[in-house]
Amino acid sequence: MNANVKARAPVTFWYGCNVLRHGDIIHACLDILRALDYEPSPVGGVDYCCGTVKDANQTAAAGMAKRTVGKLNDRGAPVVVWCPSCHSHMHEFMGRTNERRFEMSYLVELLHAKRELLAPLLVHEVPLRVFLHQHVGFNDLVPVNRMVPELLSLIPGVQVVHASYTAPGYMCASFAALPKALEDIHNNTARAAKHDGADAVVTVFHQCYREMVGLDAAGAIPVYNYIHLIARSMGLPYRDEYKEWKRAGEGAAALIGSERIAKVGVQFYERAILPELKKRPNLRQDK
Amino acid sequence: MLKSPFEFTARAMSNRPQIGQRLKEFEEREVARILGACTQCGKCHEVCPMAQYSKAPSGDHKAVVGGVLAVLRGEAGTPEALGWIGVCTRSGLCVPACPENVDPKMMMRLARMTALGGRGQPAQLPVKEDPDYFDRVRAFARLQLNDDELKEWT
Repeated sequence: MNANVKARAPVTFWYGCNVLRHGDIIHACLDILRALDYEPSPVGGVDYCCGTVKDANQTAAAGMAKRTVGKLNDRGAPVVVWCPSCHSHMHEFMGRTNERRFEMSYLVELLHAKRELLAPLLVHEVPLRVFLHQHVGFNDLVPVNRMVPELLSLIPGVQVVHASYTAPGYMCASFAALPKALEDIHNNTARAAKHDGADAVVTVFHQCYREMVGLDAAGAIPVYNYIHLIARSMGLPYRDEYKEWKRAGEGAAALIGSERIAKVGVQFYERAILPELKKRPNLRQDK
Repeated sequence: MLKSPFEFTARAMSNRPQIGQRLKEFEEREVARILGACTQCGKCHEVCPMAQYSKAPSGDHKAVVGGVLAVLRGEAGTPEALGWIGVCTRSGLCVPACPENVDPKMMMRLARMTALGGRGQPAQLPVKEDPDYFDRVRAFARLQLNDDELKEWT
């Protein structure tokens, strides 16, 4: 082995479940980690679910948590977490009721700690004034509302405006059963971003991106995840297909293609995926 | 001496740890701690940004918290308490507002699990699980990852 080649540090990149809507985010995270001298091994999906969605069935939640902690233990590497729900659930329940034998870090924390290595990699200008879509929750566990703007400010051309609105809760997906509250978040986010002079809204979490990208599809304001901007500045070429599908709505099938739709089944696509792609936020007219 | 293979199976089964036993014990300890520490001052409800979305909003902060503690004790919750439990989205502003370090965010999460029937008590809130939730995750994986990635990463 060439002594000048620096060995990369192996890490398990535990991305979660629902970020699988955004393959570009997963791929970009992996490339960013590699550029920071890590060797990430990605795991996620249903077989690595943390069980936080099973509040109504604690026996199932316990079984899922035990399985996932065991699988992460077996990998024998530090874990870098993408999903805020998984990260919170590990801190609050999984790690307190199972024998966790790995170090764990949230991706924002890790990128922030490595920002001196990251900054020289951000070479492409991204001329945007951005509004951070932030929540009051989770920030006590990892101060993402401070760290993400500091990361974005490393990107040439990006200016982070002072956000005059902070949404309740800790991420948008938990508002799925609370449509009035989610409608308020959509409207307040769009209104505040424009009021604060932003060209675009940037989310921290994929669960918020999935909801806020509806503002983009509705023509209210462009929306990105912070990883998109870091990736673009690094010259990583990933396409945000979810946004393209969301913008297309009913016409998304033509973009996805019949071969891929056949993999999930036409009926399932029409029943369980298309409604999400067609859904638009109910934006109130400002008086 | 064992009388039958069925007795052996029954004994082996009784010696196996129950699924979720550690979680159950942890939650029971947390419930006991919260019930012992909370003074029902109502500060957690007062600062909650989600209380306005409750189906039964109330300005009587102490009474709402009292109803949440009743749910934790396995009793029937008031409409105001169940309404608040139903809209908790873990903002966490209640945590620093609590003068007794109760951790009201944990209190509300445990109350939610209890009210949904997740901890063995009768459900007091409707369970709205999405039947397509996990299949949708699998479907997006098939749309977004190639075959090798699907095999290695999920």
